[in-house]
Amino acid sequence: MLLSRVAENLYWAARYLERAEGTARIAREHTNLIIDMPTSVMSSWEPLLVITGTRAGYDIAHQTINETDVVGYLVADRTNPGSIRSSIDQARENLRTCREVLPGPAWVTVNGLYLYVGAHDAEGVARRSRSRFLDRIVTDHQRLIGVLTTTMSRDAAYTMLRLGRHVERADMATRVLDVWATSLMGERLEERARYEHLQWASLLQALSALQMYQRGTSPVDGHVGPVRFVLDDATFPRSLRYCLDSAAHSAARLPRPERVRAAVADALAVLGRIDVAALDVAGVHAAADRLQLAIGEIHKQITSSYFRVVNTASSAE
Amino acid sequence: MAAPKEADSHHMTELRITPTWDELLDADGAPRPAAVALMEHLGLLGSGELQERQNLADLDILAQGITFTVYSDGRGIDRAWPMDIVPRVIEATEWRRIEAGLVQRLKALNHLIDDLYHDQTIIRDGVLPAELLVGSVNFRAECVGVSPKFGVWAHICGSDLVRDSDGTTYVLEDNLRVPSGVSYLLQNRNVSKRAFGDLFHRQSILPVDDYPDRLRRLLVSLAPETTEQSCQPNVVVLTPGVFNSAYFEHSYLARRMGVTLVEGADLYVDAESLVWMRTIDGPQRVHVIYRRVDDLFLDPAAFRGDSTIGVRGLMQAWRAGTVAIANAPGAGVADDKVVYAWVPDAIRYYLGEEPLLPNVPTYRCLYPDELAYVVDHAAELVLKPANESGGYGLTIGNRATPEELDRAIEAVKRDPRNWVAQPILDLSTAPTLCDGRLEPRHLDLRPFILSGADTYVTTGGLTRVALVEGSLVVNSSQGGGSKDTWVVEVD
Repeated sequence: MLLSRVAENLYWAARYLERAEGTARIAREHTNLIIDMPTSVMSSWEPLLVITGTRAGYDIAHQTINETDVVGYLVADRTNPGSIRSSIDQARENLRTCREVLPGPAWVTVNGLYLYVGAHDAEGVARRSRSRFLDRIVTDHQRLIGVLTTTMSRDAAYTMLRLGRHVERADMATRVLDVWATSLMGERLEERARYEHLQWASLLQALSALQMYQRGTSPVDGHVGPVRFVLDDATFPRSLRYCLDSAAHSAARLPRPERVRAAVADALAVLGRIDVAALDVAGVHAAADRLQLAIGEIHKQITSSYFRVVNTASSAE
Repeated sequence: MAAPKEADSHHMTELRITPTWDELLDADGAPRPAAVALMEHLGLLGSGELQERQNLADLDILAQGITFTVYSDGRGIDRAWPMDIVPRVIEATEWRRIEAGLVQRLKALNHLIDDLYHDQTIIRDGVLPAELLVGSVNFRAECVGVSPKFGVWAHICGSDLVRDSDGTTYVLEDNLRVPSGVSYLLQNRNVSKRAFGDLFHRQSILPVDDYPDRLRRLLVSLAPETTEQSCQPNVVVLTPGVFNSAYFEHSYLARRMGVTLVEGADLYVDAESLVWMRTIDGPQRVHVIYRRVDDLFLDPAAFRGDSTIGVRGLMQAWRAGTVAIANAPGAGVADDKVVYAWVPDAIRYYLGEEPLLPNVPTYRCLYPDELAYVVDHAAELVLKPANESGGYGLTIGNRATPEELDRAIEAVKRDPRNWVAQPILDLSTAPTLCDGRLEPRHLDLRPFILSGADTYVTTGGLTRVALVEGSLVVNSSQGGGSKDTWVVEVD
């Protein structure tokens, strides 16, 4: 038996935590890439703001785009609702109201991450300590998932966490693809082309997909392989297709899943219609937009099916 | 006080010698029988190691999110629960006497509440003055004539016990509405087992961990008799929400009992006075509510119309018997500080027994001769209004300024029904780790008593300790801390 309120808190907690992890991966990878690349080719921190959808909020408080401000905004700024700090705070606050449905160690893990971030977020900004800090966000979240996977019954509470995680991960994958890929497919400067391989590898890396891509398919060469892998690989757990399949699987375990399943099926259909080989910059943009809308629709259906139910006695039992 | 003989324990020698009763050490500074093993162990550890273990315990408490909420600038702040790792020790034989006294007391209290909402024989028979009920702010007309199962209204009670310098243990007050603290009692044991695992091995310290199971069984037993015998009743814990100072406890108890933690907005009452909760499967019937919300906020239709944490129609549902509420609304009528003074009489009246646990001697200002004594001796007394809690409204005679005392006496004279007075007790102490040294600090004890078909008392209770030297304030929101309480079998 799962209260609608608790279901919503769990779903959002999972989204916040996945968002924190995703942001940590992207910030880590972008930092690595910038360190590798000649400044003449690539030096902007702007893509980080665009991927995370925080450009508008950033501009209110900052005049210029520079490394310290951007990373600070994404990692430690509590006025940025999408920052790692805010996401972890929110997730912890949500889970504080759900402790009764979680295995004890799950809460201890999230609380530990919260205490760590609260005490060390400045280390996530300074370049010399950044990777260590961001690694910790990723590994603590993965530890949490491990705790949940190994000690939590596959009940509705578990399903809500899993659903939130996959919706957020799907959303993040399309954003990363949109920004990262289009910036690579854009102006093909002579000098830049020399580093193209490195940049496509970094896209995969930002989604922790590089190693599995290399094992499963071919070396990175051009956009088709990486984009197809990120969107459509059926076996890699961070690909869009995998996330959508998982969401469908989760929805099937919930009561009255029809509308959510229909929305997931629509999103899979949008995905199926994308011809990766034929994509250009505008095509990736457009495809990412369509996917984002479809994912937004899944979220909407989850919300209206489970969180905002109008309960009446006549519909009882 | 002298140091235990065996070990290097210079930190112990600095304990001040006071006439106060110490729970662990006798008047000569030697460990009491139940504390011998503990004091020996503390001596062997030395202050550095002890402080180290305290620091580890503090970290555990922080990591596990064992918190309470305090308010500052209108905002709730989550604070780590303060616990001193040096336990308070009670000998099992003494504890059994206290336990029997509490069982007896709760039986009488539940009789009293049930009687006050029915025939009021105790008033008719001239044992309890009728004025008490007239002036009671916790008497609820809405509860008159309701008959909860087993005749029990106060299912969960936290009674505060204190020990005076002569060694007598008194009941200071009974909390019959929404007593809190039991989760910390359970958590303190976990922390203390980690800090002193070796000692648990070497002696018989009675376990405390069965409380959540007992509570769950009690709550299930309260479910209304329904035709659907096969269906397991749905039990919920009703919390005011995450900003309540005891939210941690509400969540903890729901988790340990495996029941749903709800807020008012998660519930509704339908036209047939059935209570439902809103779940992702649609509405589900609720049969038993362990409410941690005060009476006046339970139901905006019955009490405060501005309550946003209650459930409209809940009182009607309870009266109709479709849902059980623990503690029953109206149970607070018996934890008024003035009604308290009649509890020993109630024990004699309902049970025909002498009280096994004494009340603190209490002057009842309602009676002119006792009022006259109070007025003449106010400087040696604590003056207590009937319906304040957390120490508010108290005047401590020997600490008040003459003006404060005069004002208090005037207030008593104006409204004697609502005042009692008690001698100023010297609360007992126990060695407590303060800045790396053991020093005596005052404490009390809050055991929890469960009443249903039968009565259960926690083993020991929550020991609350005033961390500031000389202070008697044990409340955690005002600088109080806590200790694990060991009930120890001594051969």
